[in-house]
Amino acid sequence: MHGPRLTGANGTELRPPTQEDAKQSAHWMLEPGPSRFWGGRAADLREEKIKERFQEGAKSEDQILWSIAYEGETIGFTGLFDIDWIARDAESGVFIGRSDLYGRGIGSEAVRLRTDFAWSELRLHRIHNWIALGNRGSRRANEKAGYRQIGLMQNVWFRSGEWHHGWLGEVFPPQDSSSPAPDAPLDPWLDRAGTVPPRRDEG
Amino acid sequence: MFGGTVRGKRTTLRIPVEADLAAHARWAAELQMQRGGPGATWGTAVATATWKERFAEQAKDRGSVLWSIEAEGALIGSALVNYDGGATADTVGLRHFIIDPDRWHAGLGWDAALALHRWIFDFMDLRLAYTILPADNVHAIRILDRLGHVQFGLGHAVYYRDGAYADQEHRIMSRDTWKERWGATEREYEPLPAKAYL
Repeated sequence: MHGPRLTGANGTELRPPTQEDAKQSAHWMLEPGPSRFWGGRAADLREEKIKERFQEGAKSEDQILWSIAYEGETIGFTGLFDIDWIARDAESGVFIGRSDLYGRGIGSEAVRLRTDFAWSELRLHRIHNWIALGNRGSRRANEKAGYRQIGLMQNVWFRSGEWHHGWLGEVFPPQDSSSPAPDAPLDPWLDRAGTVPPRRDEG
Repeated sequence: MFGGTVRGKRTTLRIPVEADLAAHARWAAELQMQRGGPGATWGTAVATATWKERFAEQAKDRGSVLWSIEAEGALIGSALVNYDGGATADTVGLRHFIIDPDRWHAGLGWDAALALHRWIFDFMDLRLAYTILPADNVHAIRILDRLGHVQFGLGHAVYYRDGAYADQEHRIMSRDTWKERWGATEREYEPLPAKAYL
Protein backbone atom coordinates (compact mmCIF):
# COMPACT_ATOMS: atom_id res chain seq x y z
CA MET A 1 0.00 0.00 0.00
CA HIS A 2 1.02 3.59 -0.31
CA GLY A 3 1.71 5.89 2.62
CA PRO A 4 0.08 9.27 3.12
CA ARG A 5 1.69 12.65 2.51
CA LEU A 6 4.06 13.58 5.36
CA THR A 7 5.60 17.04 5.27
CA GLY A 8 8.97 17.50 6.93
CA ALA A 9 11.72 20.06 7.25
CA ASN A 10 14.26 21.27 4.65
CA GLY A 11 11.77 21.02 1.79
CA THR A 12 11.53 17.22 2.29
CA GLU A 13 8.23 15.43 1.94
CA LEU A 14 7.06 11.82 1.77
CA ARG A 15 4.14 11.32 -0.56
CA PRO A 16 2.27 8.44 -2.22
CA PRO A 17 4.26 7.21 -5.22
CA THR A 18 2.95 7.61 -8.74
CA GLN A 19 3.62 5.30 -11.65
CA GLU A 20 5.85 8.01 -13.11
CA ASP A 21 7.89 7.98 -9.85
CA ALA A 22 8.25 4.21 -10.13
CA LYS A 23 9.58 4.55 -13.65
CA GLN A 24 12.05 7.23 -12.57
CA SER A 25 13.23 5.19 -9.57
CA ALA A 26 13.84 2.14 -11.74
CA HIS A 27 16.14 4.19 -13.94
CA TRP A 28 17.98 5.72 -10.97
CA MET A 29 18.80 2.23 -9.75
CA LEU A 30 20.80 1.68 -12.92
CA GLU A 31 22.98 4.76 -12.36
CA PRO A 32 26.49 4.33 -10.90
CA GLY A 33 26.09 6.91 -8.09
CA PRO A 34 22.91 5.67 -6.41
CA SER A 35 23.67 2.00 -7.09
CA ARG A 36 27.04 2.00 -5.33
CA PHE A 37 25.48 0.33 -2.31
CA TRP A 38 22.32 -0.97 -3.95
CA GLY A 39 21.50 -3.86 -6.23
CA GLY A 40 23.17 -5.19 -9.33
CA ARG A 41 22.49 -2.32 -11.76
CA ALA A 42 20.35 -4.51 -14.00
CA ALA A 43 16.57 -4.61 -14.27
CA ASP A 44 13.62 -5.31 -16.51
CA LEU A 45 12.59 -1.79 -17.46
CA ARG A 46 9.79 -2.61 -19.88
CA GLU A 47 6.83 -0.31 -19.36
CA GLU A 48 4.49 -3.19 -18.52
CA LYS A 49 6.92 -4.62 -15.93
CA ILE A 50 7.27 -1.28 -14.17
CA LYS A 51 3.50 -0.91 -14.15
CA GLU A 52 3.11 -4.45 -12.80
CA ARG A 53 5.61 -3.85 -9.97
CA PHE A 54 3.97 -0.53 -9.14
CA GLN A 55 0.53 -2.12 -8.94
CA GLU A 56 1.80 -5.01 -6.84
CA GLY A 57 3.32 -2.52 -4.40
CA ALA A 58 0.08 -0.55 -4.23
CA LYS A 59 -1.96 -3.69 -3.54
CA SER A 60 0.44 -5.21 -1.03
CA GLU A 61 -0.75 -5.27 2.56
CA ASP A 62 2.62 -5.93 4.17
CA GLN A 63 4.49 -2.88 2.95
CA ILE A 64 4.01 0.88 2.93
CA LEU A 65 5.72 2.84 0.20
CA TRP A 66 6.46 6.52 -0.27
CA SER A 67 8.20 8.68 -2.79
CA ILE A 68 10.63 11.18 -1.32
CA ALA A 69 10.19 14.68 -2.69
CA TYR A 70 12.61 17.56 -2.26
CA GLU A 71 11.31 21.05 -3.01
CA GLY A 72 8.37 19.47 -4.79
CA GLU A 73 10.34 17.12 -7.02
CA THR A 74 10.53 13.35 -6.55
CA ILE A 75 14.13 12.37 -5.84
CA GLY A 76 13.89 8.86 -4.29
CA PHE A 77 11.76 6.47 -2.32
CA THR A 78 11.45 4.90 1.09
CA GLY A 79 9.24 2.35 2.76
CA LEU A 80 8.45 -0.20 5.44
CA PHE A 81 8.60 -3.73 4.07
CA ASP A 82 7.68 -7.26 5.18
CA ILE A 83 5.51 -5.88 7.93
CA ASP A 84 4.68 -8.58 10.45
CA TRP A 85 1.38 -7.31 11.82
CA ILE A 86 1.46 -9.78 14.71
CA ALA A 87 4.94 -9.03 16.01
CA ARG A 88 4.49 -5.45 14.71
CA ASP A 89 7.96 -5.53 13.18
CA ALA A 90 9.01 -4.23 9.75
CA GLU A 91 12.12 -3.81 7.63
CA SER A 92 12.93 -0.34 6.37
CA GLY A 93 14.79 1.05 3.38
CA VAL A 94 15.59 4.40 1.82
CA PHE A 95 16.96 5.28 -1.60
CA ILE A 96 17.96 8.72 -2.86
CA GLY A 97 18.18 8.53 -6.63
CA ARG A 98 19.65 11.99 -7.15
CA SER A 99 23.26 11.55 -6.04
CA ASP A 100 23.87 15.29 -6.65
CA LEU A 101 21.63 15.95 -3.63
CA TYR A 102 23.54 13.75 -1.16
CA GLY A 103 24.63 15.45 2.05
CA ARG A 104 21.66 17.79 2.40
CA GLY A 105 19.90 15.85 5.13
CA ILE A 106 17.08 14.71 2.87
CA GLY A 107 17.59 11.04 3.74
CA SER A 108 17.69 11.86 7.47
CA GLU A 109 14.43 13.76 7.26
CA ALA A 110 12.79 11.00 5.22
CA VAL A 111 13.85 8.38 7.79
CA ARG A 112 12.61 10.58 10.64
CA LEU A 113 9.20 11.04 9.01
CA ARG A 114 8.87 7.36 8.19
CA THR A 115 9.91 6.27 11.70
CA ASP A 116 7.54 8.69 13.43
CA PHE A 117 4.72 7.45 11.22
CA ALA A 118 5.50 3.84 12.16
CA TRP A 119 5.13 4.66 15.87
CA SER A 120 2.34 7.19 15.88
CA GLU A 121 0.06 5.87 13.13
CA LEU A 122 0.88 2.17 12.68
CA ARG A 123 1.67 1.34 16.31
CA LEU A 124 4.62 -0.77 15.21
CA HIS A 125 6.83 -2.20 17.94
CA ARG A 126 10.16 -2.42 16.10
CA ILE A 127 11.80 -1.59 12.78
CA HIS A 128 15.00 -3.18 11.53
CA ASN A 129 17.25 -2.73 8.52
CA TRP A 130 20.42 -3.77 6.72
CA ILE A 131 22.76 -1.08 5.45
CA ALA A 132 26.13 -1.32 3.73
CA LEU A 133 28.64 -0.47 6.43
CA GLY A 134 30.42 1.87 4.02
CA ASN A 135 27.21 3.77 3.28
CA ARG A 136 27.93 6.26 6.01
CA GLY A 137 25.21 8.68 4.91
CA SER A 138 22.44 6.12 5.16
CA ARG A 139 23.77 4.74 8.43
CA ARG A 140 23.93 8.21 9.98
CA ALA A 141 20.42 9.03 8.75
CA ASN A 142 19.10 5.92 10.49
CA GLU A 143 21.15 6.42 13.65
CA LYS A 144 19.81 9.95 13.99
CA ALA A 145 16.30 8.47 14.01
CA GLY A 146 17.31 6.12 16.83
CA TYR A 147 18.48 3.00 14.97
CA ARG A 148 21.12 1.11 16.86
CA GLN A 149 23.57 -1.54 15.68
CA ILE A 150 22.64 -5.15 16.45
CA GLY A 151 25.01 -7.02 14.16
CA LEU A 152 27.60 -7.00 11.42
CA MET A 153 27.50 -9.43 8.51
CA GLN A 154 31.00 -9.56 7.14
CA ASN A 155 31.86 -9.69 3.44
CA VAL A 156 28.30 -9.55 2.21
CA TRP A 157 29.14 -8.42 -1.28
CA PHE A 158 32.06 -7.53 -3.47
CA ARG A 159 32.28 -4.31 -5.41
CA SER A 160 35.17 -2.42 -7.02
CA GLY A 161 37.81 -4.73 -5.61
CA GLU A 162 36.75 -4.83 -2.00
CA TRP A 163 34.41 -6.72 0.28
CA HIS A 164 31.67 -4.77 2.00
CA HIS A 165 30.09 -5.59 5.33
CA GLY A 166 26.41 -5.32 6.20
CA TRP A 167 25.35 -3.23 9.20
CA LEU A 168 22.24 -4.52 10.97
CA GLY A 169 20.18 -2.07 12.96
CA GLU A 170 16.93 -1.85 14.87
CA VAL A 171 14.88 0.88 16.49
CA PHE A 172 12.05 0.87 19.01
CA PRO A 173 9.45 3.50 19.86
CA PRO A 174 10.49 6.03 22.51
CA GLN A 175 9.88 4.70 26.02
CA ASP A 176 9.40 1.15 24.72
CA SER A 177 10.54 -1.24 27.42
CA SER A 178 12.23 -3.49 24.80
CA SER A 179 14.51 -0.70 23.72
CA PRO A 180 18.04 -0.64 25.15
CA ALA A 181 18.96 2.75 26.61
CA PRO A 182 20.54 5.03 23.98
CA ASP A 183 23.90 4.96 25.76
CA ALA A 184 23.78 1.27 26.69
CA PRO A 185 26.81 -0.77 25.61
CA LEU A 186 26.52 -3.11 22.64
CA ASP A 187 25.57 -6.68 23.33
CA PRO A 188 28.56 -8.32 25.02
CA TRP A 189 28.93 -11.04 22.40
CA LEU A 190 29.34 -8.36 19.71
CA ASP A 191 32.16 -6.74 21.65
CA ARG A 192 33.83 -10.10 22.21
CA ALA A 193 33.66 -10.89 18.52
CA GLY A 194 35.79 -7.82 17.95
CA THR A 195 34.19 -7.26 14.60
CA VAL A 196 32.12 -4.21 15.27
CA PRO A 197 33.54 -0.81 14.37
CA PRO A 198 32.76 2.18 16.56
CA ARG A 199 29.03 2.78 16.59
CA ARG A 200 29.34 6.56 16.46
CA ASP A 201 31.99 7.50 13.96
CA GLU A 202 31.39 11.19 13.47
CA GLY A 203 35.09 11.89 13.76
CA MET B 1 12.75 -24.26 -8.18
CA PHE B 2 12.59 -27.68 -6.61
CA GLY B 3 15.68 -29.37 -5.22
CA GLY B 4 16.89 -32.75 -6.37
CA THR B 5 18.07 -35.70 -4.32
CA VAL B 6 20.62 -35.11 -1.55
CA ARG B 7 21.22 -38.12 0.65
CA GLY B 8 22.09 -38.01 4.31
CA LYS B 9 22.76 -41.05 6.46
CA ARG B 10 19.17 -41.30 7.75
CA THR B 11 17.29 -38.72 5.73
CA THR B 12 16.99 -37.73 2.08
CA LEU B 13 16.24 -34.34 0.65
CA ARG B 14 14.12 -35.01 -2.42
CA ILE B 15 12.04 -33.20 -4.98
CA PRO B 16 8.67 -32.09 -3.55
CA VAL B 17 5.50 -33.55 -5.05
CA GLU B 18 1.95 -32.30 -4.88
CA ALA B 19 1.03 -35.01 -2.38
CA ASP B 20 3.38 -33.30 0.12
CA LEU B 21 1.09 -30.27 0.27
CA ALA B 22 -1.17 -31.93 2.84
CA ALA B 23 1.77 -32.09 5.25
CA HIS B 24 2.62 -28.43 4.60
CA ALA B 25 -0.99 -27.54 5.34
CA ARG B 26 -0.79 -29.48 8.59
CA TRP B 27 2.53 -27.90 9.65
CA ALA B 28 1.26 -24.41 8.83
CA ALA B 29 -1.81 -25.04 10.97
CA GLU B 30 0.17 -26.02 14.08
CA LEU B 31 0.81 -23.18 16.47
CA GLN B 32 4.12 -24.59 17.69
CA MET B 33 5.44 -24.48 14.12
CA GLN B 34 4.69 -20.76 13.89
CA ARG B 35 6.93 -19.80 16.81
CA GLY B 36 9.59 -18.63 14.39
CA GLY B 37 7.32 -16.01 12.86
CA PRO B 38 5.75 -15.77 9.40
CA GLY B 39 8.71 -17.43 7.62
CA ALA B 40 8.95 -20.42 9.92
CA THR B 41 6.88 -22.60 7.59
CA TRP B 42 6.33 -22.47 3.86
CA GLY B 43 3.62 -19.83 4.20
CA THR B 44 0.72 -19.59 6.60
CA ALA B 45 -2.37 -21.80 6.67
CA VAL B 46 -4.45 -21.34 3.51
CA ALA B 47 -7.01 -23.18 1.42
CA THR B 48 -5.98 -26.23 -0.62
CA ALA B 49 -6.20 -24.36 -3.92
CA THR B 50 -3.77 -21.74 -2.64
CA TRP B 51 -1.26 -24.43 -1.64
CA LYS B 52 -1.39 -25.65 -5.23
CA GLU B 53 -0.79 -22.12 -6.48
CA ARG B 54 2.19 -21.80 -4.14
CA PHE B 55 3.53 -25.08 -5.43
CA ALA B 56 3.29 -23.89 -9.06
CA GLU B 57 4.89 -20.53 -8.19
CA GLN B 58 7.74 -22.26 -6.33
CA ALA B 59 8.44 -24.44 -9.36
CA LYS B 60 8.95 -21.30 -11.45
CA ASP B 61 10.90 -19.28 -8.86
CA ARG B 62 14.53 -19.10 -9.98
CA GLY B 63 15.60 -17.43 -6.73
CA SER B 64 14.88 -20.23 -4.28
CA VAL B 65 14.98 -24.01 -3.91
CA LEU B 66 12.45 -26.13 -2.02
CA TRP B 67 12.97 -29.70 -0.84
CA SER B 68 10.92 -32.28 0.93
CA ILE B 69 12.75 -34.28 3.60
CA GLU B 70 12.14 -37.98 3.87
CA ALA B 71 13.16 -40.66 6.37
CA GLU B 72 12.38 -44.37 6.15
CA GLY B 73 10.19 -43.69 3.13
CA ALA B 74 7.98 -41.14 4.90
CA LEU B 75 7.79 -37.39 4.53
CA ILE B 76 9.19 -35.82 7.71
CA GLY B 77 10.01 -32.24 6.80
CA SER B 78 10.87 -29.53 4.34
CA ALA B 79 13.65 -27.04 3.61
CA LEU B 80 13.79 -23.88 1.53
CA VAL B 81 16.85 -21.81 0.66
CA ASN B 82 16.82 -18.58 -1.26
CA TYR B 83 19.64 -17.13 -3.29
CA ASP B 84 20.49 -13.74 -1.86
CA GLY B 85 20.46 -11.38 -4.82
CA GLY B 86 19.14 -13.76 -7.45
CA ALA B 87 20.12 -16.99 -9.09
CA THR B 88 23.75 -15.90 -9.69
CA ALA B 89 24.33 -15.13 -6.00
CA ASP B 90 27.03 -16.88 -4.01
CA THR B 91 25.11 -16.60 -0.75
CA VAL B 92 21.99 -18.43 0.37
CA GLY B 93 19.58 -17.80 3.18
CA LEU B 94 18.04 -20.79 4.94
CA ARG B 95 14.44 -19.59 4.82
CA HIS B 96 12.73 -22.47 6.49
CA PHE B 97 13.79 -25.83 7.83
CA ILE B 98 10.97 -27.94 9.22
CA ILE B 99 10.96 -31.32 10.86
CA ASP B 100 7.54 -32.76 11.70
CA PRO B 101 6.97 -32.35 15.47
CA ASP B 102 6.19 -36.07 15.72
CA ARG B 103 9.78 -36.77 14.60
CA TRP B 104 11.59 -34.24 16.80
CA HIS B 105 14.46 -35.26 19.10
CA ALA B 106 15.51 -38.25 16.97
CA GLY B 107 18.55 -36.69 15.30
CA LEU B 108 16.80 -36.39 11.93
CA GLY B 109 17.09 -32.60 11.86
CA TRP B 110 20.85 -32.81 12.28
CA ASP B 111 21.19 -35.43 9.56
CA ALA B 112 19.09 -33.43 7.07
CA ALA B 113 20.83 -30.15 7.95
CA LEU B 114 24.24 -31.70 7.34
CA ALA B 115 23.07 -33.01 3.96
CA LEU B 116 21.65 -29.60 3.05
CA HIS B 117 24.96 -27.89 3.91
CA ARG B 118 26.81 -30.47 1.83
CA TRP B 119 24.64 -29.39 -1.10
CA ILE B 120 25.35 -25.70 -0.34
CA PHE B 121 29.11 -25.95 0.02
CA ASP B 122 30.36 -29.17 -1.53
CA PHE B 123 27.96 -29.44 -4.46
CA MET B 124 27.10 -25.81 -5.22
CA ASP B 125 30.37 -24.29 -3.94
CA LEU B 126 28.50 -21.32 -2.49
CA ARG B 127 30.42 -18.86 -0.32
CA LEU B 128 28.05 -18.19 2.58
CA ALA B 129 24.90 -19.55 4.17
CA TYR B 130 22.99 -17.56 6.75
CA THR B 131 19.87 -17.98 8.77
CA ILE B 132 17.69 -15.98 11.13
CA LEU B 133 15.82 -17.75 13.92
CA PRO B 134 14.34 -17.30 17.38
CA ALA B 135 17.04 -17.09 20.04
CA ASP B 136 15.15 -19.59 22.20
CA ASN B 137 15.13 -22.33 19.53
CA VAL B 138 17.89 -24.15 21.36
CA HIS B 139 17.67 -27.36 19.33
CA ALA B 140 18.15 -25.56 16.02
CA ILE B 141 20.95 -23.43 17.48
CA ARG B 142 22.71 -26.56 18.71
CA ILE B 143 22.58 -27.97 15.17
CA LEU B 144 23.89 -24.69 13.72
CA ASP B 145 26.72 -24.58 16.28
CA ARG B 146 27.72 -28.12 15.40
CA LEU B 147 27.70 -27.34 11.68
CA GLY B 148 29.92 -24.28 12.20
CA HIS B 149 27.51 -21.37 12.03
CA VAL B 150 28.52 -18.32 14.08
CA GLN B 151 26.32 -15.55 15.37
CA PHE B 152 26.60 -12.16 13.67
CA GLY B 153 23.60 -10.34 15.02
CA LEU B 154 20.95 -10.28 17.72
CA GLY B 155 17.58 -8.63 17.19
CA HIS B 156 15.73 -7.73 20.36
CA ALA B 157 12.06 -8.50 21.04
CA VAL B 158 11.30 -9.69 17.49
CA TYR B 159 8.86 -12.63 17.79
CA TYR B 160 5.60 -12.25 19.67
CA ARG B 161 4.15 -15.41 21.19
CA ASP B 162 2.97 -16.71 24.55
CA GLY B 163 2.15 -13.12 25.44
CA ALA B 164 5.74 -11.91 25.24
CA TYR B 165 8.52 -11.06 22.83
CA ALA B 166 11.50 -13.30 22.06
CA ASP B 167 14.85 -12.28 20.59
CA GLN B 168 16.20 -13.26 17.18
CA GLU B 169 19.63 -14.67 16.32
CA HIS B 170 21.42 -14.09 13.03
CA ARG B 171 23.82 -16.89 12.10
CA ILE B 172 26.28 -17.39 9.26
CA MET B 173 28.60 -20.10 7.96
CA SER B 174 31.28 -19.78 5.30
CA ARG B 175 32.58 -22.25 2.74
CA ASP B 176 35.99 -22.07 4.47
CA THR B 177 34.43 -23.26 7.71
CA TRP B 178 32.70 -26.08 5.87
CA LYS B 179 35.98 -27.21 4.31
CA GLU B 180 37.78 -27.03 7.61
CA ARG B 181 35.15 -28.94 9.60
CA TRP B 182 33.53 -31.23 7.09
CA GLY B 183 35.57 -31.13 3.89
CA ALA B 184 37.46 -34.32 4.66
CA THR B 185 34.45 -36.42 5.52
CA GLU B 186 31.39 -34.95 3.84
CA ARG B 187 31.70 -35.08 0.08
CA GLU B 188 28.90 -35.50 -2.39
CA TYR B 189 31.24 -37.58 -4.58
CA GLU B 190 34.48 -39.42 -3.94
CA PRO B 191 37.47 -38.03 -5.87
CA LEU B 192 37.69 -39.47 -9.37
CA PRO B 193 40.52 -41.96 -9.92
CA ALA B 194 43.52 -40.62 -11.78
CA LYS B 195 42.73 -42.82 -14.77
CA ALA B 196 39.43 -40.99 -15.24
CA TYR B 197 41.39 -38.12 -16.73
CA LEU B 198 43.29 -40.18 -19.24
